[in-house]
Amino acid sequence: MNPLIFTTILMTVLLGTMIVMMSSHWLMIWIGFEMNLLAIIPILMKKYNPRTMEASTKYFLTQATASMLLMMAIIINLMHSGQWTIMKVFNPTASIIMTSALAMKLGLTPFHFWVPEVTQGISLTSGLILLTWQKLAPMSILYQISPSINLNILLTMAVLSILVGGWGGLNQTQLRKIMAYSSIAHMGWMTAVLAYNPTLTMLNMLIYIMMTLTMFMLFIHSSSTTTLSLSHTWNKTPLTTTLILITLLSMGGLPPLSGFMPKWMIIQELTKNSSIILPTLMAIMALLNLYFYMRLTYSTSLTMFPSTNNMKMKWQFETKRITLLPPLIVMSSLLLPLTPMLSILD
Amino acid sequence: MALVHKLLNGTCILRKCPKPSVASYPFLGTRFADYCSSSLQKPAPVPGKASSQRKTEGDLQGHHQRDVALDITCPEEKPEVSFDKAIKDELKNHFWRLKDDIVNRWIGPEGRPLHEVLLEQARVVWKFRGKEDLDKWIVTSDKTIGGRSEAFLKMGKNNQSALLYGTLSSDTPQDGESSRSGYCAMISRIPRGPFERKRSYDWSQFNTLYLRVRGDGRPWMVNIREDTDIIQRKNQMYSYFMFTRGGPYWQDVKIPFSKFFFSNQGRIRDAQYQLLLDKFWRLGSPRSRCLHIWCLVSVHFLACSQPPSCCILMAEREQVLVFLLIKALIPS
Repeated sequence: MNPLIFTTILMTVLLGTMIVMMSSHWLMIWIGFEMNLLAIIPILMKKYNPRTMEASTKYFLTQATASMLLMMAIIINLMHSGQWTIMKVFNPTASIIMTSALAMKLGLTPFHFWVPEVTQGISLTSGLILLTWQKLAPMSILYQISPSINLNILLTMAVLSILVGGWGGLNQTQLRKIMAYSSIAHMGWMTAVLAYNPTLTMLNMLIYIMMTLTMFMLFIHSSSTTTLSLSHTWNKTPLTTTLILITLLSMGGLPPLSGFMPKWMIIQELTKNSSIILPTLMAIMALLNLYFYMRLTYSTSLTMFPSTNNMKMKWQFETKRITLLPPLIVMSSLLLPLTPMLSILD
Repeated sequence: MALVHKLLNGTCILRKCPKPSVASYPFLGTRFADYCSSSLQKPAPVPGKASSQRKTEGDLQGHHQRDVALDITCPEEKPEVSFDKAIKDELKNHFWRLKDDIVNRWIGPEGRPLHEVLLEQARVVWKFRGKEDLDKWIVTSDKTIGGRSEAFLKMGKNNQSALLYGTLSSDTPQDGESSRSGYCAMISRIPRGPFERKRSYDWSQFNTLYLRVRGDGRPWMVNIREDTDIIQRKNQMYSYFMFTRGGPYWQDVKIPFSKFFFSNQGRIRDAQYQLLLDKFWRLGSPRSRCLHIWCLVSVHFLACSQPPSCCILMAEREQVLVFLLIKALIPS
């Protein structure tokens, strides 16, 4: 793609998200979502083949449907409140429709079916943008309308997302699908605590984005899209293999790594609000995620899989240099001691 | 002997699909060779069936051109027609498969441990050992569009292979639209999960399609279609040629997936794309462009493998142009 055009499109994506996050007018928020959607499509189809075309089409259809639902909720809210400003959504119908629309955009259960299919069909770089940057805008709107969201619907979606994210990722050998199901599960954790302490949602989002960025960059660095190709990284870059181990365990939420911090904080917040069964269920279901991360770690870092002559292909290509990788790895694994500083988020 | 051949899956007879035994073995490099050599052993002929086999061959040789109805059932098998029993059996079958699906999920991908899947070097996907293996295939010809070709699929000798045979006719259907006609094909059914959910094959750790066939000396094509959720991709597929030698000996055909070229609605596209191996739906083997002749091919098994020498990712454009030239030069 022409670099100038690519820069324009990328700037439009950034601008769309910024408009959503900074607007106080519902129509501007909707415009921001549409700008973001239309600009991300050519980025998803950057490496054109029929599969990316299919993935982009699926993404467009689901996001356009979500935008339509959002607009409908905005208009119902306008009819009842008489104003466009973002504030507490008084009308329950508008609140439910808006929650559904934002859940569709985020990929929460039961609107999660597009996430693995779209992520699998696009390149690693596009998948990186899809699973990190594209979550910011809908999550910021959820944060702003959190006082008026139906708690039952929110918690049901959250618990189901954690379950589906863990169960769906169990048998995957494609790395992008594994990351997609991981995203669904993490979104579940974020929405579970949204009604109790939205600040922790933001914390979870930040840590999740850092860990996902790190994982995708490690995959791009080793040009791996399947578990088998990832299990051969020991042959070319043994250091990357160790870093994959640390990052995966952090994503699984194991202490003393960074990924433990949001889970710990969320469980603590839920128990403070006299909710015992819910965090217990969430912690148990998080074990499913940990299981498939561990399986990936076992085949990648803890064993030396026999490599075939096909692996010589990897030696033909120059190792990609990714500038941000070292600080990202540090942040996605060593931030747990900074937990007492969380008070600055309030 | 009239043969049971199905174009649509509309029968009430249920057969359990046997799990491939070869797939349960790790390190299939050596096992695969044993499997291939063991298939050459002739099982003892079953008395009573020998006469029906000879009668079949006599029919095959002295077959006259006649229209064959598509719903003729073999007189040896009389399907039970019981609506209640069929519904109960279907429900039981689907819930059983759902239970297997859930239990297999704990074990690993496709019900096998992950290390077994990752270390697998070859996998036999389709083999022909019984009539239930034939049910996994659809036989089609231009009869469906009004042509005069016919194709049938039956078990070969000793129940070790499948035989696709029939007549190809290039007489065009009299519909005012078709200008060319004459094809027959055997196409694999889309894999289905519980409650007829569509599944796809994940062959991402393999790079070669391996077939053992015994053809009639004519070229065939091998088509692969991927999982198509959207209608724009309905007519897209990847194809390659399979040149059969004819003769009494089996022919091992190994086609790297990188050789397959991309086509849409039967036309080869200028822009070629890599065949992505994680969402296979169907494999087909058509034969076309002949005058009124017999066509015949025996298939022993179809498998996918990962030979260490194959490293190319996709068909280059020059390869596609060479094949177009060869196709034009070979007399049909």
